[in-house]
Amino acid sequence: MSDIGKVRLRLPSTIKVGDVVQVRCLIIHPMERIERDKAGKIIDKKYNYINKVVVTYLGKTVSTFDTTQSVSENPYFAFTLKATDPGTVTVTFHDTLGGKYEGTAQIAFG
Amino acid sequence: MTESDEAAPVTRREMLGVLGVLGVLGMVAAAGGGVLLAATPAAAQALGANETVEAGLARVFGGRPMKDGASLIKLDVPLIAENGAVVPVAVEVNSPMTPQSYVKSITVVADRNRIPIVTRVALSPESGKAYMGANIRLGETGDVRAIVEQSDGTLWQIKREVKVTVGGCGG
Repeated sequence: MSDIGKVRLRLPSTIKVGDVVQVRCLIIHPMERIERDKAGKIIDKKYNYINKVVVTYLGKTVSTFDTTQSVSENPYFAFTLKATDPGTVTVTFHDTLGGKYEGTAQIAFG
Repeated sequence: MTESDEAAPVTRREMLGVLGVLGVLGMVAAAGGGVLLAATPAAAQALGANETVEAGLARVFGGRPMKDGASLIKLDVPLIAENGAVVPVAVEVNSPMTPQSYVKSITVVADRNRIPIVTRVALSPESGKAYMGANIRLGETGDVRAIVEQSDGTLWQIKREVKVTVGGCGG
């Protein structure tokens, strides 16, 4: 699973100043589910899943996702932000094992 | 025993004692942090827990009343999800996003999941629009709710049933 942590971000192809743009992002991550042993008891271990996603734009936090194991494997998230200035959108994913994965996209006005 | 061991000023027993005290201090600090977090539900650390949906909602929202948000919230879920492991969900709220009045958070809840609280998104006026989308898991057929919290603390709720052909939560 060497692909863990690959992040893809997509922006609309043309953005005008002041537009509310929808950003879609995808990360490769197993999002481990609860496992049970043969007796049906939940195995108590540290499951590896993403529990926080932070979106920043122009150095400010725009939105924060708190997520649980009820989110799909290779999760997809969509959110909006108001494009006021050209700059970088950074999406940072944190998982329960301390992994930190980052994806960036540039907002530029065409 | 080697000579250096005998010369060591700290014995194993003393060392364990010190470590034990440190451990207790650490736990006290952690408990204190927990109390602080509980006071502000927005900062609840472990959002996901194995619980019923009622218990989950009570824990996250502290039993605050919820209004019916059918006219305000658009919850976009499929009618039938063939694969419960990947169910696209999108929530859009018809609300202004100004610093005075905006949507503070959107919470997605799957009633029949073992971990009912799926995700909570904290938004800010910079979001421009109260919108979120995600792919979630559904264990079985049941309601999916979206709960919207506005900056003045008002809660709005909407739910919609999703039929699941193959469950996606396992376990």
